[in-house]
Amino acid sequence: MAGALQVSVISPEQVLYEGAASSVTAPAFDGELGILPMHAPLMTLLGTGTLRVESTEGLKRFRVSGGFLQVVDDTVRVVTEEASAEG
Amino acid sequence: MAKGRELKGRIKSVENTRKITRTMEMVAASKMKRATDRVAAARPYALALGDVLARLVRPDIAERFPLLRQPATKRRVALVLLTANRGLCGAFNTNLIREARARIAELEAQGATVELHIVGKKGIAFFKYLGRAIDSERIDIGDRPSATDAASLIDRLTDRFAKGELDAVYITYAKFKSALSTPPATEQVVPVVPPATQGTPRDFLLAPSADVIVEALLPAYVRNMVYRALVETVAGEQSARRTAMKNATDNASDMLTLLKRTYNSARQAQITQEIAEIVGGASALQG
Repeated sequence: MAGALQVSVISPEQVLYEGAASSVTAPAFDGELGILPMHAPLMTLLGTGTLRVESTEGLKRFRVSGGFLQVVDDTVRVVTEEASAEG
Repeated sequence: MAKGRELKGRIKSVENTRKITRTMEMVAASKMKRATDRVAAARPYALALGDVLARLVRPDIAERFPLLRQPATKRRVALVLLTANRGLCGAFNTNLIREARARIAELEAQGATVELHIVGKKGIAFFKYLGRAIDSERIDIGDRPSATDAASLIDRLTDRFAKGELDAVYITYAKFKSALSTPPATEQVVPVVPPATQGTPRDFLLAPSADVIVEALLPAYVRNMVYRALVETVAGEQSARRTAMKNATDNASDMLTLLKRTYNSARQAQITQEIAEIVGGASALQG
């Protein structure tokens, strides 16, 4: 696998997660969206649902609602209006 | 020793006041720490959002979005003034109110009708005292403003701007430059001023279209601007209060030194006088 993704999950109040991950599954406006390393630059709006980050310390889940997701050079930024960590 | 007792009373009273101001200083310092952490934590979101809008917003698409509409004349504008709910923080509230009044005067000189929306008891009390009409007032935003507070504060105003009922919305708040510098500032909330682009533009796959993304993100950008103003004002309030209370504690200490010195010299003078009297009395008996 070519490198890993650098993921940050950002809400207006704080940065919820920042670190490496092998994949990200996000609830986009029109359905689930999976991001793997080497993804093309992408910007998309998010819907409401569970964001899953396959990080080095295991699976992390966040409830997100609104905002956007941006992928550039294996850096994934999830910027959402409402976010909270989930079990 | 009437003077001595009086001095003792004053010493006690200044000591008690110093205890209060010192406690308030420490409370403000710890609240300020938390508030500045929140200011710092809010920065990545603002940067990320600003960055994306800077890439997507171009002058040619401006007229398609209500929040980017640039009215030719400003007939009716709204000013949101953020102040603290509590005093004892030096000139903090006064500075904010002065800034707001200067802005109102400036806008009215340009022929605009200014609506006033105030957050915080201090600002409300002042403008009530002036007898100026206040269009909305809120005192429920506390030491820990949330993004929801920001949304509930500004959404109604941005909706009215989008409908054309307002021509601009401004916000007056305390900019948190550093713990020692929190000058009042006024910023334009809508029409949105898109941030300047930084770095090289890149081609993105956009889903859905750029228009839809901009449409969804503009309100978020506005709300974030207000949220940032709220947290910065709270941090500014706490730092102003800490400085004010530190000065008060220092002044109380100075005053105590002086009072104690006066008290001791009065006490010494009295003892000396008593000894002189006893010696005088004894020598009179012997004589």
